[in-house]
Amino acid sequence: MILNLFEMVVFGASFTAILIAGATHLRVNLALYSVQTLFIGFATAMTAHAHADDMGIYGIACAITILKGLIVPVCLVMAIDKIRIQSDAASIIPAPLAMHLTIVFLGLSYLLVRGLPVPLEFSRGWPGATAAISLVFSGLVLMLTRRIAISQIVGFLIIENGIYLFALTQTHGMPMIVEMGVLLDVLVGVMISGLLVFKIQHSFEHIDVTRLTQLKD
Amino acid sequence: MQSLLTLGFVPLLVTVFSLVTRPRVSRVVVALLCWVQLIVAVSLCWPIVIGIQSQISWTEDFSVDRLSASFLLLTTFIGACALSHAKCFFEMEETVSPTYNATHEQIFFACASFFLLAMSMVFVCENLGILWVCIEATTLATAALVYFSRTKHALEATWKYLMICSVGIAFALLGTILIFASSQHGGMPTGSLNFTELTNHATSLQYSLLRLGYIFCVVGFGTKAGVFPLHSWLPDAHSEAPAPASAMLSGALLNCALFPIWRLTQLVVEAHHGQLATIIPLALGCITVLAASLILIHQHGIKRLWAYSSIENVGIMLIAIGLGSGSLFFLQAFNHSVCKAALFLLSGNVIQATGKKSLADIKGILNLSPVWGIALGLAAFGVTGSPPFGSFVSELLILIDSANKGYWSIVIALTVALLVSFVAVNIHLAGILFGTSPKETVGPGPFATSCIPILLIVCAIASGITSLPLFVVHMK
Repeated sequence: MILNLFEMVVFGASFTAILIAGATHLRVNLALYSVQTLFIGFATAMTAHAHADDMGIYGIACAITILKGLIVPVCLVMAIDKIRIQSDAASIIPAPLAMHLTIVFLGLSYLLVRGLPVPLEFSRGWPGATAAISLVFSGLVLMLTRRIAISQIVGFLIIENGIYLFALTQTHGMPMIVEMGVLLDVLVGVMISGLLVFKIQHSFEHIDVTRLTQLKD
Repeated sequence: MQSLLTLGFVPLLVTVFSLVTRPRVSRVVVALLCWVQLIVAVSLCWPIVIGIQSQISWTEDFSVDRLSASFLLLTTFIGACALSHAKCFFEMEETVSPTYNATHEQIFFACASFFLLAMSMVFVCENLGILWVCIEATTLATAALVYFSRTKHALEATWKYLMICSVGIAFALLGTILIFASSQHGGMPTGSLNFTELTNHATSLQYSLLRLGYIFCVVGFGTKAGVFPLHSWLPDAHSEAPAPASAMLSGALLNCALFPIWRLTQLVVEAHHGQLATIIPLALGCITVLAASLILIHQHGIKRLWAYSSIENVGIMLIAIGLGSGSLFFLQAFNHSVCKAALFLLSGNVIQATGKKSLADIKGILNLSPVWGIALGLAAFGVTGSPPFGSFVSELLILIDSANKGYWSIVIALTVALLVSFVAVNIHLAGILFGTSPKETVGPGPFATSCIPILLIVCAIASGITSLPLFVVHMK
């Protein structure tokens, strides 16, 4: 089972997600998220190269690397500096256990994607799909097991990266307008939730989302 | 294409206008412009309305057929009603609410009109990818509406809404990608997300990818529609948003979230996998109706009561989708939208007049304002499916349809749920209508606060009477 460069890059992305699930330091998590997105940007650029240097896909690779890989993490780092919160505490499952859970999910993703048909332009479909689905699982684990609102945003971004990677490896080029729309929606969503984090800190004097339980039946 | 752009012109004008002018001016102008937008929408769909054309297509990716045109008009109508009522609502809010802020109101109108635009686009676009983008845009626009009061509760509701819906919609994106991949393995090497193209090649779509894609889309868009057990954001957001926003969320947004499920169900039926497209919506709808009606029994907030009743109605609409009946889906959606919008607007009035949100604290609405009390009672009868409202016709036809197709479990579950919710809602309502109102209330607002709800209730009764022929047709 020898992986080629492209497959190693996509698995690199899914390994960073596993590390994020294990680390509770917010700066480390954001740095790892940035590395993950750079991997995905690189994988996109490699796809563009394979498609006879398609300029449109190169454009998307640049947009992802700059917007999601650099600007979003930098904004979130500025946010945590302002709120003065450095690390997160696990809520339901301790962080090391959550990391092991994501590794189990990586194996599970491999089992899940074997039923999918092999995409047209790849000789084998499992590496890309496994990495993508494991990213979605890791993001969900992070959203479910962390207390701090920033970690929820990072979890959502990882899920989104996984879905993007799935589209990259399992389809032959999504329509450009859809790609751009998705990127825009995600960015605006992150900005709004970032703003809300400030508001939560301001009104509740904490950003522990597990303690947001005033509304119930 | 140009005629399509006119649909976006008024909402964008409203957005800009409400940001640059004072709320007192913009309230009136926005209310007027929203009715202009309804006229634009009607004129755009005119050939369909009078029945000389069954479909209008502007470009490859933008077109309307009879059902989507009906939903487009319904959404625009609900938006116009809610934003016209917003004038009375904010005038009152200025005097009674300590947290009122003019800038927040400007943001409210700007986001509300953008929200209306995004919802209209959902019905005119023929492309699943663009449709996804529009639905996500509605989530982002409504975050500002839910957060209007800037209180802790509103903040909590907004955060939950944004997170749960974003993750749900992300799953719908995964489903969209899977459907795109299934089209590439089928007769279209370049792939397509265009519903017309997908339907034309329906039988050649790769089945395992299509099935996965369909399930992910139903779960994803279902989250946005408040399908049980992914509904937890809905009562929070509906109860914390200001009344005109709740009316739009419940009366218009839920239809938007269900519409892609309807389109995809039709696609899967075309692909000759009717069983999948029947079982999943029926099962989800059935669970949702049952769960919501049981939760309705124990409610303490007036707007939360209507929110759970919306979840129950979403379940009924999902059953209509599962039965493959577009007309029943629309009839149910129409009645729910108009009655629920009326209920939320009236509840907003009641909350402003009494200063209370809890069902236990509100008493004697009939005493306080007979018009509000009667309107509340009629609208509650409308959402719970009593004659002469259209929901009676649609719910009865859904029951008959399920019985004819042999889904007896659905018939039993739906009957139980409808009875439970009817009793629960009306007992809660009787509690607030009768009795004597506390002394410290602000008093009822001017008659203008009842105009829009009365208009909505008249529409609901009219739909009940005009849909009776449907009943006769069905019986034959």
